[in-house]
Amino acid sequence: MKKAIVIIALVLAGFSGFAQEAPKLYTLPSPFDRYTHYLATARLMGAMPIGSFADSYIDKASFQNASVSIEWVLRNSPLSIGGEIGSTYFQKKIPRALYQNGDETVSAVQTRTLSQYPIELFGNYHLLGKNSTIQPYVQLSGGVSIVDYTLYYGSLTTQHQKVAPKYGVGVGSKFLFKKDGSFGIDVRVKYDGTSYKHEYIEKGVSSVNGSVGVFYRWW
Amino acid sequence: MLKKASTFALLAITLGLASCSKDPIGDLSTEESLVYVTNHDKSANYTQYKTFSIVDSVLIVENDRSGTSLDDIDRSLLQRIITNMQSLGYTYVSPKSKPDVGINASWITNTYLNAVSQPISSYYGGYWGGGGGYGYGYPSYYSYYETSESYWLISMVDFKHPNTTDKTYNVVWDAQIRGGGIGDSQYIDKMVDSIFGQSGYLKIN
Repeated sequence: MKKAIVIIALVLAGFSGFAQEAPKLYTLPSPFDRYTHYLATARLMGAMPIGSFADSYIDKASFQNASVSIEWVLRNSPLSIGGEIGSTYFQKKIPRALYQNGDETVSAVQTRTLSQYPIELFGNYHLLGKNSTIQPYVQLSGGVSIVDYTLYYGSLTTQHQKVAPKYGVGVGSKFLFKKDGSFGIDVRVKYDGTSYKHEYIEKGVSSVNGSVGVFYRWW
Repeated sequence: MLKKASTFALLAITLGLASCSKDPIGDLSTEESLVYVTNHDKSANYTQYKTFSIVDSVLIVENDRSGTSLDDIDRSLLQRIITNMQSLGYTYVSPKSKPDVGINASWITNTYLNAVSQPISSYYGGYWGGGGGYGYGYPSYYSYYETSESYWLISMVDFKHPNTTDKTYNVVWDAQIRGGGIGDSQYIDKMVDSIFGQSGYLKIN
């Protein structure tokens, strides 16, 4: 909370022109402006299934998601490119019901799960400069996802695994703790789609996820 | 500087992997873990059957061995089947008085032996040329594990229309009960009621 207040205060300070009035101790631009540098982010995510995936398989939000990414923030360009690996997990328990499996009638409590381990490349387009304390960006990503579809009937299991193409579109912002500093917070909202079809999942897996992460940058 | 960053990344990865170990069915109660599977002969007309009988003990089948058993749990299973059949409208008769259908009850256990090999195994047999005539030896890191699975199998056999050409009786209905609590006598009534409950077509009264 305190940090949020500090960030808001910094933002306001920036807008009111406070920074320009301060005595100019350094005339040299920050190394983050001068060099292509690296930025690593660790995120925790909440995800909400949407579309037909939510309608036909799992509609319960999940908070067991995380990812790590490393990116190269290019010099003299608003772009950064990088790679992100993660883990997402959806689960829902359906009360006892009857299912028709061929000629068989099955009565069971279903536990539906879907785990994904996405491996993606992404590009960020930053709307403000690299040393701005707030750095909003838009993101496009694409890659593959290692999908594990495990459906439990009571304690019995059916499982299907596949490597499926995945893509994503996001908007987010980085917030530096300190101007010209190395650490900050990253907040992102992203749409994730995986083209995977199996049994209940007929039109792919889609979800909207919101994440909060911390990043560290260095050159 | 770089070291600090890699420690940070490593920590993040560890956190990520720690969240991967899940036990999705850990919160299932014993009752919830039970699965009832029923199947029946679609062409069978159950109203033509009036009387039934039942085996006097449970057949125990374990891989290719078999025997019979009649302990408390078996007795309560058989008794509950009789109760359910009677409430569906069938009359219980002795096996000697030519019942229209017979009920079999079995406890089946399948045990599998599985072999796990470490990453280097015979899969690479052809890759190294194979001209030398060498195979791979399997030292102690080659390991085995055993899994076994048990379930109840209850079936209804049509004695009224024996298949005379190949001397068999048709199974007109069967039910499997699987899951965690199947050997627990407190769930027997629930299990038997469930398999009959989901087979409404058996009702003749």
